[in-house]
Amino acid sequence: MAIKPLVTKDFATENLVQLKVYERTGGYTGYKKALEMQPDALVEEVKKSGLRGRGGAGFPTGNKWSFLPKGVYPRYLVCNADESEPGTFKDRYLIEKSPHQVLEGILIASYAIGCNLAFIYIRGEYLPQHDALETAIAEAREAGYIGKNVFGKGYDIDVILHRGAGAYICGEETALLTSLEGYRGEPRLKPPFPAIKGLYGKPTVVNNVETVVNLPHIVNNGADWFKSIGTPTGAGTRVWCMSGHVNRPGNYEVENGTPIRELIEEHGGGVWKNRKLKAFQPGGASMMVLLPEHLDVGLDFDAIAKAGSLAGAGAMVVMDETTCMVDAARRYVKFFHHESCGKCTPCREGTFWMANIFDAMEAGEAKPADIDLLLEIGYGIDGRSFCPLGDASTWFPRSVIKFFRDEFQQHIAEKGCPFKKQPQEAVA
Amino acid sequence: MAAVQTDQVTLTINGQSVTVPKGTLILDAAKKIGIDIPIFCSHPKMAPVAVCRMCLVEVEKLPKLQPACAVYVADGMVVKTTTEQVGKYQKDVLGFLLINHPLDCPICDKGGECPLQDQTYQYGPGASRFDFPKAHFDKSVPLSDKILLDRERCILCWRCTRFSEEISGERELALIQRGTNTIIGTFNDEPAQSNYQGNWTEICPVGALTSRQYRFISRPWDLDRTASICPACSMGCNIQIDARSNRIGRFQSRENVAVDDSWLCDRGRFSFPNFQRQGQERPRVRRNGSLEEVSYEEAIAFTADALKHAGGQVAGWASPADTNEELFLFSRLFREVLKSAHLDHRSGVVADAEPDDIALPIADIERCDQVVVLGGQGVIDAAPVLHLRLFKSERKGVKILKVGVTEGKRALDAIPAEAQAIGILATEADKQAAVDLQAKLAKKVKGSVRRLIVTTGPNGRGAKDLGILPHQGPGYASLNGRAGRGRLQWPGAGVKGLYVHESSPLHGFVPSDAESMWLSTLPLVVFHRFKASPLDEVAHVILPGHAFTEKYGTVTNMEGRVQRIRRGIDAEWVREDWRVLQQVANALGASWAYESVEEITGDLVRELPPYAAVNQEARVLWSEST
Repeated sequence: MAIKPLVTKDFATENLVQLKVYERTGGYTGYKKALEMQPDALVEEVKKSGLRGRGGAGFPTGNKWSFLPKGVYPRYLVCNADESEPGTFKDRYLIEKSPHQVLEGILIASYAIGCNLAFIYIRGEYLPQHDALETAIAEAREAGYIGKNVFGKGYDIDVILHRGAGAYICGEETALLTSLEGYRGEPRLKPPFPAIKGLYGKPTVVNNVETVVNLPHIVNNGADWFKSIGTPTGAGTRVWCMSGHVNRPGNYEVENGTPIRELIEEHGGGVWKNRKLKAFQPGGASMMVLLPEHLDVGLDFDAIAKAGSLAGAGAMVVMDETTCMVDAARRYVKFFHHESCGKCTPCREGTFWMANIFDAMEAGEAKPADIDLLLEIGYGIDGRSFCPLGDASTWFPRSVIKFFRDEFQQHIAEKGCPFKKQPQEAVA
Repeated sequence: MAAVQTDQVTLTINGQSVTVPKGTLILDAAKKIGIDIPIFCSHPKMAPVAVCRMCLVEVEKLPKLQPACAVYVADGMVVKTTTEQVGKYQKDVLGFLLINHPLDCPICDKGGECPLQDQTYQYGPGASRFDFPKAHFDKSVPLSDKILLDRERCILCWRCTRFSEEISGERELALIQRGTNTIIGTFNDEPAQSNYQGNWTEICPVGALTSRQYRFISRPWDLDRTASICPACSMGCNIQIDARSNRIGRFQSRENVAVDDSWLCDRGRFSFPNFQRQGQERPRVRRNGSLEEVSYEEAIAFTADALKHAGGQVAGWASPADTNEELFLFSRLFREVLKSAHLDHRSGVVADAEPDDIALPIADIERCDQVVVLGGQGVIDAAPVLHLRLFKSERKGVKILKVGVTEGKRALDAIPAEAQAIGILATEADKQAAVDLQAKLAKKVKGSVRRLIVTTGPNGRGAKDLGILPHQGPGYASLNGRAGRGRLQWPGAGVKGLYVHESSPLHGFVPSDAESMWLSTLPLVVFHRFKASPLDEVAHVILPGHAFTEKYGTVTNMEGRVQRIRRGIDAEWVREDWRVLQQVANALGASWAYESVEEITGDLVRELPPYAAVNQEARVLWSEST
């Protein structure tokens, strides 16, 4: 399938971070065009484009916008740049390469929903990206894109950039809002949904960085053009963060529907060290593992879901034949245990328990019954926890047990990790 | 059938149909038809948080289990709480809760009344499959001089932190750290200051927050529980006296939504050591300068004889912690038998001109739109549980104005003329300022203006109603110029004898300097009391009486609600106070023949018909009955 970079098409341009350069590539024309439109028409246009949220859940962006209750102001737009899932680094790339594109997307979304104050919640560790955005906001304010009565259109907009403090849970939209308000980052009870009662109790839209960067292009080229890219239910492209055992890890923007094989083999240069592919994980740390037999599945929300995993935040973690799948699952489970906010019982205690079992597994101290116990703990967490963090902590380990139960049995029988016995396989 | 617009919804729970108002939680709808859904974090006085996940149930058409404590009912909803899936999950969540719980139930004060323990037995797995070392945390952390926190037992249900935020508004307790490392604590580990900490121990569903006073005192099943009223102030909070082997172990709350809304303050809750009896004691009379033990008969005869000598020049002081029945007899002893009007229950001069029968009921504070707290913190200090009602009202949108006693004008200016319902709270000492403000506000605004006066002691209001006052008779009756003298005037009024009756060290007769001089010169001091006090040294007769927690009777709170106190402790060797009063009166020529407290209550109601309210534990309303 032809490669059509969309949001990254100008990323090779030197000094794209500067406003003048960004403008030269056509920057802010989408925003200017949007300001000529009625906000409702803009929402309709985005609805028609079929743009789905790129944060992980894939919810149609235009629909999300239209859930805001009529006539309730102020309302807020919050751009979620708290990218913290292991294996994801697309937002970082999008921000550092073209902060103005992110900002333009935010301004278009804000105008569409009638928001006069937008927020960017950026992961605390993303300091250079924070600085890039800060500079971009200052430049945009200077140029009159942000401020009172933008271009004499009677529209006021300001943008506040806020750094997180290092909690993965704050990427969950309600926890993000709670953190933004200055409280402990913990998810909130839904309903009410943020669209009804979000930031400071006001109607709020939370959109991912990759979602908003698509907006200038949709406005410039029209919904029909956008819809023509990708698949019928997955319009557009995605920026895939590829990592793990590939020759060329990095961010690659591909059209939705592109086979996974193409991403790994052509873009990524295939599995490194001439090894065989053992498994891969699309979507990020939480998503279920897929096998070489799934290589021809298209990179698309629905196709990946049909294959038994989820596209999530667009991370592609490639694992070669030397990978200990038990250890891979152990690392992820320990990540979720570490990041569990502790609000609800199943996630707080269940991830602790799973982490203990996985440690025992790697140390060769596990019992045969522990494999099924892991599945049962997973059952006790998934769908029962307060927010998706708990659910997600179980998906990868359960899928690994499903496909690689023999590796668990081997750990138990051999009282230790069979992969660590091969000295040359010290995989970072 | 025509569709009728209604605020009721009908749903099915476990096959049973139930109709409840819109906005009801599944949990409460189930409770209505006797279906028990286990909970830990949910609390009827707090907003749902759905963190413990114990109450998950099946709701038809929804893919996931739903928290019954946080999901509101909808018409036609089909809920199942006993399916295999729900039962299995309940085992799972209890299993989760227990992996890091120390299971030190045998030495835990909560054991036996612990929701975690009870629900583990009812819904939990028989055994744990967790065989790793448990996470360890600090145990017996002193949060204050009242409360200990055991961080291992804590299941992070958030009830205490929510109490601190939503009920008391003090935000003293908070969650610290995250994940399995989450703990409850105060800012910088500073001691908790709240006056409502005891409530934390009651709402805690495990033994994490326990009372230091009650530590290792008793097992819940060894407690004798007696419904009574808190002796600390005029709020009249309903309590339960929990006693073991005839010693008070603790006071617990006993919900009365009209009065305490299920909370107690620490001053009241932890006041019980004042009511512990030190040992057996017999009446004593002073002979040749020293007190000698005598029988009740001898002491009563001595008292009656001495009172006869003092005649109409004897003064009587009865404590605002006495029961209405005792006060009724006390008043009759003085007015009818001794023909003395020198009666008082007060410690200072307080204007007692009106019965306050149009008083603002405590619960109606929530239904005002503006409430003036005249005297600010002074009012709260006089009846601390009022703060919780005020804070609850404030959260509902009631405007609360806390102003100094002399700053009534500030409140007057701040309240708009369109206000519909205004309340004024003040202590008895500041009643005049409250009355003045009430009059001014009544002229300014369209709506009602009512006041609530915080009286003194658990039955100060009853003492006024029953005429333990020098200038007014029972029911605020005029004395037609035959008024007696009040306590402050006694030292210079030619009083020849003093009868002091008290049953609570919290509201005893504490002599001022001037009174101390005078007391030592009095030819007769009868001290009818529960606990020894410095007054013993000048007393000629000491008549042991029952403590507030040892007697049966009624007391009237600040809003005029008549409530029963009951015998939490048996002190059988002590003769009932009413019986002693009757015997003294009869020795002086009366012919009272009461056989029980109920008979006295009956007479009291016959003489003061508004007190028929006692039968409903309702409020005494003087104006409506006349």
